[in-house]
Amino acid sequence: MNEQGSKKILFNKSTLFSLKAELLRKQEEVNEKKQQPKHKLENFKPPVVAKGKDQEKNTNKEYKKSFKDSLKAIDAEELEACRKTKLALEKKAVLYEHLSDNAGSSQLSGRFLVDFDSKKKSEVSTENKIEELPPNSEDFLHQEDGEDSEWTEFTDFLGRTRKCHKSDLDKYIQRDRQLMKVMTKSESNNGGTEPVHSQSNLNEHENLSINSQPQVSDTPIEKPLLVQKTNDYLQSLREKWEQKEQELLSKEKDIHYQDLLFDEARIHGVGYYAFSTDETERKKQMEELIKQRAATLKAQQEADQIRKKRDEMMAARVAAARARQRARAGLPPEEPKEANQKDFTTCLLEFLTQQKNEADAKATEEERKLKEEAEKERQKLREAYVREWDIGKKDVEGKLKKFREMSQEEYVELQRSKRINEFAPLHTSTSSNLNVFNDRGKILKYDGTPTTNAWDDGRLKPVSPPPSNIADLHEHVHQKTWTDVRPSRKTPPPPDIGDLSESSQKGLYFTSNKKKENNVKYRNFVKAQELTPIVNEVYEPEDAFENREDTRDHETSGTEVAPPPTYDYYGPVAKKAKFKKPFESDIREAYAQGAKSLETKNSNRKLPQHYDFTFD
Amino acid sequence: MTASEVSYNRKIISEDLSNVEFDTSEDVEVIPTFDSMGLRDELLRGIYTYGFEKPSAIQQRSILPIVKGRDVIAQAQSGTGKTATFSISILQSLDTTLRETQVLILSPTRELATQIQKVILALGDFMNVQCHACIGGTNLGEDIRKLDYGQHVVSGTPGRVFDMIRRRVLRTRSIKMLVLDEADEMLNKGFKEQIYDVYRYLPPATQVVLISATLPHEILEMTSKFMTDPIRILVKRDELTLEGIKQFFVAVEREEWKFDTLCDLYDTLTITQAVIFCNTKRKVDWLTQKMQEANFTVSSMHGDMPQKERDNIMKEFRSGQSRVLITTDVWARGIDVQQVSLVINYDLPNNRELYIHRIGRSGRFGRKGVAINFVKSDDIRILRDIEQYYSTQIDEMPMNVADLI
Repeated sequence: MNEQGSKKILFNKSTLFSLKAELLRKQEEVNEKKQQPKHKLENFKPPVVAKGKDQEKNTNKEYKKSFKDSLKAIDAEELEACRKTKLALEKKAVLYEHLSDNAGSSQLSGRFLVDFDSKKKSEVSTENKIEELPPNSEDFLHQEDGEDSEWTEFTDFLGRTRKCHKSDLDKYIQRDRQLMKVMTKSESNNGGTEPVHSQSNLNEHENLSINSQPQVSDTPIEKPLLVQKTNDYLQSLREKWEQKEQELLSKEKDIHYQDLLFDEARIHGVGYYAFSTDETERKKQMEELIKQRAATLKAQQEADQIRKKRDEMMAARVAAARARQRARAGLPPEEPKEANQKDFTTCLLEFLTQQKNEADAKATEEERKLKEEAEKERQKLREAYVREWDIGKKDVEGKLKKFREMSQEEYVELQRSKRINEFAPLHTSTSSNLNVFNDRGKILKYDGTPTTNAWDDGRLKPVSPPPSNIADLHEHVHQKTWTDVRPSRKTPPPPDIGDLSESSQKGLYFTSNKKKENNVKYRNFVKAQELTPIVNEVYEPEDAFENREDTRDHETSGTEVAPPPTYDYYGPVAKKAKFKKPFESDIREAYAQGAKSLETKNSNRKLPQHYDFTFD
Repeated sequence: MTASEVSYNRKIISEDLSNVEFDTSEDVEVIPTFDSMGLRDELLRGIYTYGFEKPSAIQQRSILPIVKGRDVIAQAQSGTGKTATFSISILQSLDTTLRETQVLILSPTRELATQIQKVILALGDFMNVQCHACIGGTNLGEDIRKLDYGQHVVSGTPGRVFDMIRRRVLRTRSIKMLVLDEADEMLNKGFKEQIYDVYRYLPPATQVVLISATLPHEILEMTSKFMTDPIRILVKRDELTLEGIKQFFVAVEREEWKFDTLCDLYDTLTITQAVIFCNTKRKVDWLTQKMQEANFTVSSMHGDMPQKERDNIMKEFRSGQSRVLITTDVWARGIDVQQVSLVINYDLPNNRELYIHRIGRSGRFGRKGVAINFVKSDDIRILRDIEQYYSTQIDEMPMNVADLI
């Protein structure tokens, strides 16, 4: 029918054919089952469900911990399920017959995607060989005679409809028999838990022999079908991989990812590109890729430029249009005033953000510097650290020695240099101290094995150390466990570097104080600047215009205390200059412009001169 | 933690580490994109090509410190890109013009070493990096030849690597980084000596990177022996299980019923790919045979198989040709097959760490996964312990388990 023919459905040839094939198959199966005695039909299961281990599977769904419970339920459930299936299939068959008989004329036909009308026509020619389903359309047309076709279909022992090459049919049937033997045997071993099933399987098998008339031979096959089949396929794969590997071994060149992939089912990124395993080819591809990449970059840049240009043009056009509109409406051209206004606010904003950024940058810079310094110290410590497992290695010996050679004298000197003078003991003579240290230092010797003793932090304060500390100190010189060498508040670091934590603390003491001050000042500063001018501007009439500078001066002088340390940095000079400009220019110019435009408006509606540049 | 607290802790560490809680280092920077990591262009291309788009949490934190040359202890949940983390760092710090071994990666199994080699080659595909898998069970002569050819990175198992070093085929003088994947396993009793042997041949103060999903306390305690002031990126154990991996158990009264349960689950297993863990090689063999007798297609792998066979099984499984793999703990750690979505613990693992690793074979890089534990009545206690230890939830298996995969 025309109406049917014109119905547009998204499909291609192959979907149509597979749909048709599916329908035919279903129909054929139902017919087949119908012709058989009743009890067989009841055991019929559609092939979709019947896959692999179906004997157990249906029950598996319901299966839980206990077998015993489920076993009783099996038969009833099974029968119920089969009955349902049967009913559904019968219903479908009736519907299908109705549809195909009435072809397109049926009321229902519009609901289905299959064009039964044209199907009926084409079916006339192929009706005699429904059971042979073509692998593709051409075959379908050519296979007039079932005997000549290359492909055939048979239902195997498990109830699956299988397609195979004519020449392979015997082999498959043989295997199927074998499988059947194995299965039935194992089932009988199971104690006949599913008698109905094995029965049905046997029947299925009879169907098979009826359908395809196989020549049965009883030659035994070692393995059942499933395993055998996969093994065959895998064998070929393995051979392929083996060969690849041999190639790899003989390959005296670089090995790349592709060489090792071995059919791995891995999902890669979108940009994944499988390079050739051939080296020269790969190189070529790589070059091409790089070239393409460069081209892409260039194209991106160009597109970007074009976009920018377009945006600019658009903005200009919009500005012009607005100006025209304003002119038509008799309003003064807003452009210069607006620009000025904008100038002022942006100026302010810029200035503030700039100040803020600068302050932030300074703060972070300081922080970073501190951190860096600490990191540097720490790096030194790391370098000096000797791992237990490294002891005995060539270069480490030197390091250890160096470690040892750092004498008490030097260490004390180092400590002393870090000491704040006020904390220095009043009447200690350096020489006497040195003597003590030297004496002690000579006594103690490095024994070559690492000591993991921790030492007490409290005892190492640089204030007039009692002699007992020196032993501890010396022990510490040979310390090798990192955790002991770590810089920390109380723990003195190893002698060759000196007390990092002390120094960093010193640094922290000063800089953090300073920073804090900075921050406070900075905030005040910003507030004063930020708030006053804006408020004043809004509420002050034009005659207050002159006074503004004074008020601001007044304010600052009122709150003035001591200048902050960063006074120079944020100096008021720059700020004033920056502020003055927008103020003066903006309001005066605004007036001037307003007056001017009023004049021009009165004379004629021409756009003022200064608009012209926006058109470029 | 304030500075004083830290120092207080450190003081304790030096005395008795067992009472100290190891925490993630304080100033670990988080870098949200690969682009902002300052990696080389070719490497970036490799990363995106391989399928990474945004760095995972561990990648955001660990790559930079490793590249900077710091010793790093990195812990992250299974399947969150740990291998890629150190691979990217390695590739970034390589000098490809220098044809000598610069990085040595040690891992506990040959399959893992091979996998790492593959990842390095994949990520470094545009860099022309050379990486060799130096593993046992392969031809010594080939190994020597490959090493002589010049390899930037060697990924191997400790035994063969040590052998190669001793023969002076693997020259260590240019090695600047040692990576221990599955570090807790590598530093366990069985491997520690071998690691030490290898370490003794490396230049002193070589950068060391430890990576694993599980890092028990005793491992962290001993790291100071071969690491210098490491940066630690750790995960609390109650955050170690992944949301994406649903865990269930099936209670069976008798051991024999496990088999029946497994047969019942077979259809679920083959939805994508599944790994079944047994505790012994013999049990693997037994179960495989029994499954095959029942006409189920399964493959199996364990350490007693010849390497050739192991390789083939791996390739089959990786290519998706085999869908169900019965194996031992040789497969528990690190192996990454994207399609694995179901793990079955036919036997419960022997320790808590292995549980994490086993179930981590599924749910790779954000995918969904299901773990099913077969428990006999006396095993339930163990399972509850695991549940509590990791603050996770292991429910009884629902009927619709197939929908979760």
